[in-house]
Amino acid sequence: MNALPLLPDAPPDTRVAWHRNRPVTRAEFLGKVLALAAALPDEGPVINLCSDRYHFALGFFASICRGRLSLLPNALTRDTIARLQDDHPALHCLHDQAGDAFGLPVIPVAAEALDPRTHTSAPMIPAGQEVACVFTSGSTGRPNPHFKRWGSLLTNIRAEAGRLWDAAGGACAVLGTVPFQHMYGLESTVLLPLLGGGMLCAQRPFFPGDIATALAELPAPRLLVTTPFHLRALLDADLTLPPLDLIVSATAPLATELAQRAESTLGAALLEIYGATETGQIATRRTTTGEPWHCFDGIALQQHGHQTLVSGGHIEQACPLNDIVTLEDATHFRLVGRGSDMINIAGKRSSLAYLNHVLNSVEGVRDGTFCLPDPDAEAARLAAFVVAPGMTAESIQRALRVHLDPIFLPRPIVFLDQLPRNTTGKLPHDALQALIQTHLGDLRA
Amino acid sequence: MTQQESTGAVADAALEREVAEMIVSALNLEIAAEAIDATAPLFGDEGLGLDSIDILEVALVVSKRYGFQLKADSEDNFRIFASLRQLAGHIAANRSK
Repeated sequence: MNALPLLPDAPPDTRVAWHRNRPVTRAEFLGKVLALAAALPDEGPVINLCSDRYHFALGFFASICRGRLSLLPNALTRDTIARLQDDHPALHCLHDQAGDAFGLPVIPVAAEALDPRTHTSAPMIPAGQEVACVFTSGSTGRPNPHFKRWGSLLTNIRAEAGRLWDAAGGACAVLGTVPFQHMYGLESTVLLPLLGGGMLCAQRPFFPGDIATALAELPAPRLLVTTPFHLRALLDADLTLPPLDLIVSATAPLATELAQRAESTLGAALLEIYGATETGQIATRRTTTGEPWHCFDGIALQQHGHQTLVSGGHIEQACPLNDIVTLEDATHFRLVGRGSDMINIAGKRSSLAYLNHVLNSVEGVRDGTFCLPDPDAEAARLAAFVVAPGMTAESIQRALRVHLDPIFLPRPIVFLDQLPRNTTGKLPHDALQALIQTHLGDLRA
Repeated sequence: MTQQESTGAVADAALEREVAEMIVSALNLEIAAEAIDATAPLFGDEGLGLDSIDILEVALVVSKRYGFQLKADSEDNFRIFASLRQLAGHIAANRSK
């Protein structure tokens, strides 16, 4: 089986990352990756809880070197981790803080404590090695694993780099506002700079003022990786930012008006990325031009009855899209509707089926459903309708917190005597919309 | 009432109340401003239970109303949201209007 290098070829003094106000060279990064790899256990997958993006990257690449699979669960809750530990008794976690490790054995990651190995060349990694496992949330509450192989991931990131660097006018320093434990953040803020010849930035700026400060530190050209939600907050803050060369948004549909404001205020083109857990990233579009989505080089789409199949490039086996699209040709398409029930808020994802499963598993809840009252809002907030005599919104929230990332907690929770289910037990779309109109009408924009 | 712990200016009760009302209205919370415990956490599993989306919205209102930008080292570091009193104190110390 063929093997591919852990890092692209480059001189040892190439700057590959920016950490705590200083550049990190390729030689230093690689040396520390190999030092950390030597400290990893001989078996079992790892879960990477590092909160500093540079530490996360050291852990991710070290795990690849040692043949350890990185698990990327959708939610870092006690519940999820306990289930993963059941499936993988040898599970370890990488951590860079004293914070909660969910009772897992900890391998500490601290850049300054790693003595870099010298005179090293990038190790060759088998293309078929499974390096990451991401999950889609099944409706039964049992997440379905999707394994990402090294060769395929590398091909995907190279295609992304080709497209983005072309739009930016060169390889960029990449600053991200999105969580890197999720696929979009991992691909675009960790792997894109390191595998695509750009510069990874460790900062994880949160407030608009933090984004401005972090950008000012970075060498040009600069790429900002964000979501419609974070972008709206940044623009509303009316700050003066250093020049950007490209903005990338994903996870939720971006309004053309917001894209236009971003391009004119920040002085850079904005590309949206289209992808899914199953397929990885497959296409981009420049929102302001109204043009269709353009597949990455090598990727092609084919209509097969009701399904659109994606193949080529990094896709090992033709795979159906969850969404409904119309093809303009094999490499250009328009998005007609979201076919899945994926919920994606500020870079974190879940599904309505899973959320409803969790809600209905709460003791005391007889029936319940989540809904998204205003799906077009950047700061989408879930609400819920429940039948739960004797319970309060607070007690339900508390029970949900054990299982869900706080971003998915519903507000408000509307108590009803019953849900308008039809004879087959389904909650028809129109009935749910009527409930939203009646009880949550004033929340809609 | 105990002394404000941080080195920032101490917010008076009127500012605390004003900030509480601002949070409730910015986030459409189903709680009265006066019902927010000034010493309970705003963010996280306890107290008011705000999440990162809420915090970003509050930050925007704070910047418009009080004329300064909030800063954090990372998303895990919301010390100024440790309580209503802490946030009001931070605003009192940094406001430009």
